[in-house]
Amino acid sequence: MSKRIPAHEGMLCHFIKHARPDLVKTIKRTQKIETIVVGLGRQGTRHAGLMQEFGTTVTAGIAPGRGGQRIHETIPVYDTVKECLEEHPNIAAASIWRHYTTARDATLEVIKAGVPLIILITEFIPLRDVRDILVAARKHKTRLFGGNTPGVIFPPEGIKIGMLPDVFYPEEMRPGEFGSKGVTIISRSGAILYHMSDGLASAGIAQNAVLGVGGDGAIGSTFRQLVPIAMDYENTDLVVVAGEIGGSQEELLAEDIKANPGQYPKPMVALITGAHAPEGKTMGHAGAIVAPGQEFGTFKSKKKALKAVGVPVVNSQYDLIKEVKAKIKRKRYFEIDRYYEKMRLKWEEPPKKPSWGTITTKVAPNSLVISGYKLEEIIDRSTLLETAHLLVKTELPAKKVLDGHHKRAVKAALMAAPPVTRFKGEDISQALAKSFLMDEELSQMPQAGKDGPVNKTIFALGRFARYLAHILGTEAALDKATVKEPFANVIYRAVTGEEKVDPKRSRMVEAMVVASVDHGVTPPSAQATIIGASVRPDYAMAVASGIGAITDVHGGAGAKAAVFFQTCVAKTEKEKLGLDKATEAVLKEYMNRGQRVQGMGHRVHTQDPRRDALWKMVEKNGLAGSCVAISKMVSDIFEQVRAMSLPINVDGVIGAIVADMGLRVDLAKALFVYGRVAGLSAHYFEEIASQSQMRRINFAEAVYKGKELREFPR
Amino acid sequence: MRLYEHEAKKVFREMDLTIPKQYGVIHSPDELDGLKLKFPVMLKSMVLIGGRGKAGGIKKAANMKEAKAKAKEIFSLVIKGYPVETVLVEEAASEAGACYVGITTNPVNFNIIAMASAEGGVDIEQVALERPEAILRKELPANNTTLPQATASQFAKFLCKGLKGDKALEKRLADAVSKLYATYQRFDCKVAEINPLMITKGKKVIAADAKVVLDDNALYRLSDLFDLLGVREARHDVSEPTRDEVRARDAGFTYVDLLPENARKQKDKLYVGLVPGGAGYGIFSIDETANIGDRFFGGKVVPVNFMDSGGGPPVNRVAEMFHLLMDKEIVDIVITSRFGGISSCDIFIRGLIKCLRDRHAKGMRMLPVYGRMVGTDLPSAKAFLEKAKIETPEPLKDMVIVVGNQKIMADIIKAGLKRGFELKGKKVSKTKTKVITKKKAKPKKRAKAKKGGK
Repeated sequence: MSKRIPAHEGMLCHFIKHARPDLVKTIKRTQKIETIVVGLGRQGTRHAGLMQEFGTTVTAGIAPGRGGQRIHETIPVYDTVKECLEEHPNIAAASIWRHYTTARDATLEVIKAGVPLIILITEFIPLRDVRDILVAARKHKTRLFGGNTPGVIFPPEGIKIGMLPDVFYPEEMRPGEFGSKGVTIISRSGAILYHMSDGLASAGIAQNAVLGVGGDGAIGSTFRQLVPIAMDYENTDLVVVAGEIGGSQEELLAEDIKANPGQYPKPMVALITGAHAPEGKTMGHAGAIVAPGQEFGTFKSKKKALKAVGVPVVNSQYDLIKEVKAKIKRKRYFEIDRYYEKMRLKWEEPPKKPSWGTITTKVAPNSLVISGYKLEEIIDRSTLLETAHLLVKTELPAKKVLDGHHKRAVKAALMAAPPVTRFKGEDISQALAKSFLMDEELSQMPQAGKDGPVNKTIFALGRFARYLAHILGTEAALDKATVKEPFANVIYRAVTGEEKVDPKRSRMVEAMVVASVDHGVTPPSAQATIIGASVRPDYAMAVASGIGAITDVHGGAGAKAAVFFQTCVAKTEKEKLGLDKATEAVLKEYMNRGQRVQGMGHRVHTQDPRRDALWKMVEKNGLAGSCVAISKMVSDIFEQVRAMSLPINVDGVIGAIVADMGLRVDLAKALFVYGRVAGLSAHYFEEIASQSQMRRINFAEAVYKGKELREFPR
Repeated sequence: MRLYEHEAKKVFREMDLTIPKQYGVIHSPDELDGLKLKFPVMLKSMVLIGGRGKAGGIKKAANMKEAKAKAKEIFSLVIKGYPVETVLVEEAASEAGACYVGITTNPVNFNIIAMASAEGGVDIEQVALERPEAILRKELPANNTTLPQATASQFAKFLCKGLKGDKALEKRLADAVSKLYATYQRFDCKVAEINPLMITKGKKVIAADAKVVLDDNALYRLSDLFDLLGVREARHDVSEPTRDEVRARDAGFTYVDLLPENARKQKDKLYVGLVPGGAGYGIFSIDETANIGDRFFGGKVVPVNFMDSGGGPPVNRVAEMFHLLMDKEIVDIVITSRFGGISSCDIFIRGLIKCLRDRHAKGMRMLPVYGRMVGTDLPSAKAFLEKAKIETPEPLKDMVIVVGNQKIMADIIKAGLKRGFELKGKKVSKTKTKVITKKKAKPKKRAKAKKGGK
């Protein structure tokens, strides 16, 4: 729903203020009330997503042994609450979804970590365990809702913590704009809440907060503790207390109203359930049981106690509506039809299209954005190692981290190559894939822990220089590399076999590698790696699968494009034609032979952003020659010859640059593979961190869920 | 779950608390012949409800003849509605003093509370009311697994003073209190109580009675206790589960009978089976049905069950929920509500229709169904319902499911009850026409009957 009230003005913040006043300032500033989800089984994981959809800030999930993973592709998972709070110190609330056999330990952990508000969803926690939880909560002054609570929901702010469905209707000031006034419902049961809310909404009565205290016998917060806080909130007009048989919290509430009337300044209506329940039989809620022979805990004892202090007690929907209406003087908070309309729309919504998310690269026509940064800017300003870090970690590395990466990569490049021989005529990507699979050094590089994935990626990029040098026979030049020179030089040595490195040329080569790093999850190479990763093979196996998918059809057109440009240039010289005429002539020859010109056309882009960035750089570095010139005009010429618009693509531009730099043409593909190792690496780690094993993958269903577009920091 | 006395005593023995010699548990007076008895003996009715002594369910016998006669008397008793089916036979200890020791949870703040009084016996409740100073209560908020030594001796001193005992007795009492506390924590009890804790003439301390109520939430980790007792199934605090309660449990949902298993059906009343959603609304819908019955149908409406599907039930479980009620002879109509927040309307309606079609095909008893569904998956549920009505009109002719929330559930229940009476009128008798609404006829009766049951 659209316009919500500010987070710091809502009832949830009011509750946090009672427990942790210091957090309120942060909430006011950030307008975010950060929550965590503890226990990521089926329910916890599902509701983490539903809470997020509703508007709750779900900062992290907690599941031992799953640290470093992500749920719903974007919510980071930590092994412990403590680790989470080190990264996210402003966590204000936790919902706990663990099984009743482990809920005690999990809850104690959250309490001890200092989270001020806990929503304990778990039901059926043994009484002895609950007592341990209560001992700790008292000590740490934790506000605990539950166990066995459906959760809490704050319709005006659009925040819920727990599993309550989004059926509660807030005050509506103007269509789509919400206010903070209403009645507050505090209930022991979840399902009753829907029917109460439905009944009240059918009379135009808004709910500004709905709090489930929990259906178990022993719970963290009772009516006596919660009602005064709710009444203290200025926008609450009335409190509905929904109690049931069993326990004595309704009786205790009545006692407290009598003893401290000043704490109950607002009207109240109590709905008590279980008037017709038999003694001694537990009905769903462990707490809802009438103990035989006891004076409290019965419908009658509760009704009597509350009536005696002036609280009307009802036992039916009709009476509830009647009493509440009377107490708030028939006030209407919204047009009733709008409630029905909202519900109808909600229920008639077609089921959501299945989708899954990726946070690496956002791909749109003529736009490639990695973790919020435009790829053309990255090509221009960022090194391969920085870009790899960005891909895996979604942020650019700090200087110190980058230094570490640099050393790691150079060291990896200087280690001996795996014993791979390239067969005669073997595709270079196949030989490189083989190198990955044969590399013992790489397979022994650990990948666990917070920085395991990025470190392994960096190591692999270092190793790649060695594989390339081994295959191309340039190892002598690479052996002379040192940590004192930029990694671009290391790449350049391996690629060219030149021992003297011209910084402009090395930077140009690196830029071509960076331009190739990633294109989201849909290219065949990424798909191959992701499908591989879904069954959790070794890193090298999954990345090699992706590399193997880079062929002349995908990613490897550069070499053939280079040959085309060289043919055009040769014709210029031989037949003394202008570049345009020569190109036109060669194009026609290709057409007559029924031969495709490689390096043109793209599934997504008409103006590939990588293309312009590379052109710019090749010119800036004074490396552009005739091939680059042709690459810039070939599309127009093609359109004249063939009446078809076919833009030059990144492979084509790389081919042209490689040709103009006088490098071996088959390097065009090798450079593409080099860059793509970083992207494939990121997809491998993303898959294992955020998706379930052996899932069914439909690549058309992928959506980008990563960082939004942002300014490049330098 | 409450344990029978003889079971609770086994638990005590396991925890090294002294109990009277147990001769055996009998199901008829004749079984006394098979026991090796040393008279006098105690005969104690095994029912899960307090106040047995006052009802004549506990008797002492000096010889076999007397034992048989008294056992016969006890077996003929019905204590607070529960017939005596088993009798415990145990040693009758010579009593020199009796006190009370109990551990439970304080309902106010959920702390453990330990209580003791030197004036144990059947009138402990009376003592509590009239002379609270005769009872020592101590809250133990730390939730330790064992009772701190200091607290144990505080209780022992208090008891010993009342009993005028010596240091040796004090030590034994401290020991008994500690062991009871340890039992409470070790076996996840809600209540662990000894009344009377008997002091014999030989100054021995014996748990002459034993009350143990286990925490239902902890039963999963009490398999060793179940093994010890030879108990297979959990039971209610006051009774064994009924046949349908077991059937429901096996099918994976919670169900509770509100009427005794063989309740006699009164012809002019409408017996309503309920398939609500959620535990809380499960209880509430019983009230709502009864209230609307009282208010608009002259108090002639009897809800028969509690039910809770649990979150997100599959189609077959939903079908079984309706099957169970339709197999119940006493039920006249089923009223149902689906407010799908988490559970799906689609699965609900498929389950319901599957049940009706299956029953129709097999010629089983069909009951009218009335209800409402709103919430998740409503469009597909609605489409399925409309199609089903066209495809198989016959099995669905007495099913009315209102789609959407234009009417609140109370209105739906009211309309359902009206229809129930109409259909019942048609079927049962042609002479008796509609039950007239809004006439206030003996709505108090049910409340009274309930009071008697306490």
